[in-house]
Amino acid sequence: MTPFQRHTLLVALVAVACRGTGPGRAGAPPPGALPAPALPAAGAAPTDTVCRVAGGPVQKRDTVTIALAEPVDPAHAPLARNDAERFVFAQLYETLLRVDCAGRVLPGLAASWIGTADRWTFTLREDARFWDGAPVTARDVVAAWRLRDSAFAQSVAIEGDRVLSLRPPTVPVQPLADPALAVTKRAPGGGWPIGTGGHWVSETTGGIVWAVPLRPGAGPALRVVTALGGRLRDAVDAAVDLVLTDDPAVLAYAATRPGYLDLPLGWSTSYALLAPGRGERTVAVGAEGLRDAVHLDARPADGSDGGSVWVRELGPCEPPGDRELVASPGARPRVVYDQADRNAADLAARIVALGALGTRAVAAGLAPGAFAGAVRVGADAAYVFPIRRRVFDVCRATLELPPWSADGSVAPLLDVRSHAVARRGFPALELDWGGTPRVLVR
Amino acid sequence: MTFRSRILAGFGGVVLVPLVLFGLRVRVVMANRLTAEYERRVAAQADVIRADIARDGAVIARRLEALSEAIPADDRFRSAVLAGGDRPYVLDYAGTAMRSAGLAMLVIQDSVGRVVSSGHFRNAYDRPEPALPRALAAAEGGLALVEARTPEAPLLAIARVDSLRIAGRRYTVVGGLAIDSARLVALTPDPELGVTVALPTDTLTAGGADTAAAAVREVSLPFIQEGDSLGATRQARILVRHSLASLAALRHDVDVTFLEAVLAASAIALVLAGWLSLRISRPLSALARQTAAIDWDRLDVAFESERPDEIGRLTRLLGSMIERLRAGARRLREAERRLAMGDLARQVNHDVKNGLTPIRNVVRHLAQVAAGEPERLATVFRERERTLDSSIAYLEGLAGTYARLYPASVAGVCDTAEVIRESVWRLDRRGAELRTELVEPLPRSATDPLVLRRILENLVGNALDALDGGPGTITVAAAPGPSTNGRATVRITVSDTGKGMTRAELDRAFEGFYSTKPGGTGLGLAIVRRLVLDANGALRVETEPGAGSRFIVELPGVTG
Repeated sequence: MTPFQRHTLLVALVAVACRGTGPGRAGAPPPGALPAPALPAAGAAPTDTVCRVAGGPVQKRDTVTIALAEPVDPAHAPLARNDAERFVFAQLYETLLRVDCAGRVLPGLAASWIGTADRWTFTLREDARFWDGAPVTARDVVAAWRLRDSAFAQSVAIEGDRVLSLRPPTVPVQPLADPALAVTKRAPGGGWPIGTGGHWVSETTGGIVWAVPLRPGAGPALRVVTALGGRLRDAVDAAVDLVLTDDPAVLAYAATRPGYLDLPLGWSTSYALLAPGRGERTVAVGAEGLRDAVHLDARPADGSDGGSVWVRELGPCEPPGDRELVASPGARPRVVYDQADRNAADLAARIVALGALGTRAVAAGLAPGAFAGAVRVGADAAYVFPIRRRVFDVCRATLELPPWSADGSVAPLLDVRSHAVARRGFPALELDWGGTPRVLVR
Repeated sequence: MTFRSRILAGFGGVVLVPLVLFGLRVRVVMANRLTAEYERRVAAQADVIRADIARDGAVIARRLEALSEAIPADDRFRSAVLAGGDRPYVLDYAGTAMRSAGLAMLVIQDSVGRVVSSGHFRNAYDRPEPALPRALAAAEGGLALVEARTPEAPLLAIARVDSLRIAGRRYTVVGGLAIDSARLVALTPDPELGVTVALPTDTLTAGGADTAAAAVREVSLPFIQEGDSLGATRQARILVRHSLASLAALRHDVDVTFLEAVLAASAIALVLAGWLSLRISRPLSALARQTAAIDWDRLDVAFESERPDEIGRLTRLLGSMIERLRAGARRLREAERRLAMGDLARQVNHDVKNGLTPIRNVVRHLAQVAAGEPERLATVFRERERTLDSSIAYLEGLAGTYARLYPASVAGVCDTAEVIRESVWRLDRRGAELRTELVEPLPRSATDPLVLRRILENLVGNALDALDGGPGTITVAAAPGPSTNGRATVRITVSDTGKGMTRAELDRAFEGFYSTKPGGTGLGLAIVRRLVLDANGALRVETEPGAGSRFIVELPGVTG
């Protein structure tokens, strides 16, 4: 099977998974449900560069400095809340399996696996160890899962110290690679949870995170700095090795600096227009012309390769909360957005300019907390809402949508992506299914 | 209304009325002067706003002129609009230029009015808006208030239009300065002045003026609403008002001060009026109380004062009057005492005479018998011995009565007919005919027999006197009287055929010491009346001058 064929197969599996039973996916399939997907056979890591982003030959370095545009909070680990945290957590924590940007299933903590119609059995990597040196056992994996998804953990049986099995779920294997199911354990005294990745956090001071390899010589140490606002250009001037940003001004500036390469990453985020009203109000916004409305690398959301399709097909996944919270839209139509999100503001302004909600419509930016509350209530005409373009677990991602989303209209507007500004010789980045880059240290 | 109330009201009126008139006058004068001042300041502010608008128009014109020269000189912009591409630069161009030029509104439109780049609404690109530059160009002075669209809310700006050409294509540039609350506040540094922009669609207010402003001036400007496809130009008004707050505060201060003055003056007036009224009314009230206490038996009231004023004089006058009254009373009591002693002597004389007359008659009779018929002396003596005993008993009783000075009536019962007969028999008829008419059986009288005898002797004696010694008839009648509350009464009538009494004489007949007879004591009828009343009886008189008198005595009777 060629990579393209495997990719196509996995996309089909995702689509099938979205028609599953939602939160009860780990249990027995309901009557009439589709049969469980087959577990792809374990294989060696792909040698192609489909999911790799590299800027040329790698130069060996002891330390690389990475500048991120958003803050990283250890308290969130391993459940990231922004792109910077996704990048950092991806370096530190492992899941049972990995799924790359092409949908290929790769070994994670599990070195091998066997799938039958009744049971999927996974064998953990023999050298898998926590940062504190303790070996990773099947019991540790189940304990970590129980903390994040107890229903899913109930379907797991511990077969041995390093062997565990589970009933084949009705959804594809991507949930097993969901960072939400990364294997961690609580660190004594709090702080960063103890993971199993190749790097561990040795120090966090002054907004700088030091992630050093577990084994000497296993790659460079990662020095992660947070450069908010316009300070990313200062980071470029300070000769950092990697800048992750979606700001075109920074990209334009970096392009003027010698030794830097602009490496587009995957289309990881989509902006959607969510309109409540149980289908009574469908906001039609032409994708044409929207691209110019924002200041970042964007393209019309076309749903290619399955991206952002999941928000249109939430049927099997029950949104959380009380649907009766849905209120009637106000007399003056408002397009509401998070005022901390400039792209959302631009899109809301463009929607007002296009008159998609009538000539009396206005855009209204709300503080993040107020925006979250307004979205939950759904009393406005529409909301400009960022969603992850591809998710590992549709039903878990559904929990991030407002409770009325299943009855309202969800119209993807734009796909946007970040760029990596890398100095020549920087290690290659590998993109996972969700578009998160991971530094390839070997 | 009391004297004190009148004094208080008078003081209040004298103090408060001028104060109220003064306060009202101050309010009116103050309001007129301040209102005139407000109008002057409002007019000056309106002139300042006109000048500001004109200056803003000039500033906008200069900046648009500079932009109209800079835009065609920007090669990146030229190539983008002519050849396409570099769209973000074009879209952001107006925003950057707007901020650089210090404008709040900037729209670059192509020859058909399509928005090429908008500074105040970046994502309004490609929107057709041909009416706006046309309306601005047609506005008076090329300057107008524009209500521009933005995503969040309308933007009000004072704007004008300019044009430029790039490779023969005509573009318009609309630019303006914001007219928002901050700008209005900046226009009106005086916090008491307020500026309101009254639009055909809305109202924008700034400054401290309230809606109840005293003075209002307005500055008119053309008004254009972006998005109005017709590009109609209406009129917006910039209203300058002056707040009445300071006037109201001044009025309030005046009112408070005035109220304080009224309260203070009222308090002082009340205290003064109270003190004065007390000083005047208290001695008058004391005089009234002392005067009210004066009586015939209470002439010991002292009216003394050292005051030199009218009240002191009045007090002293009353004191001297009381002194004169006391002297008169003393003289009167002395006269009464003397008169009463004389009356008593005459009464005693009268009563003794009544007792001695039968004795004298018996003695005279016995002397006549001893002289003429000595053998019958013993017989006659026996016949008249009863008369002597009766008279002696009468005198002894009289003596006992006077010994008690004023005998209390003695409750007793007597045989009415017996007492009448005995009394009539003993009386000296003085030539008159004395009859008795008794209706038997008569009830016994609930009266001491001596009292009844004195009543009869006095009435018969009075009747004899009424005959003036001439012939006449005196009738003593007695009969049962009408029952009173079931008790029997006895009616005794003594009538004469004498001269009778006039009305005036009758009115004074029972007064003590009043008599129409020479040498009369005037006590007879007074004694009769007192004795009858003491016996719980009644006495009345029927008389007519020349026809005689009739005295009717009704005494309580005893049945059985």
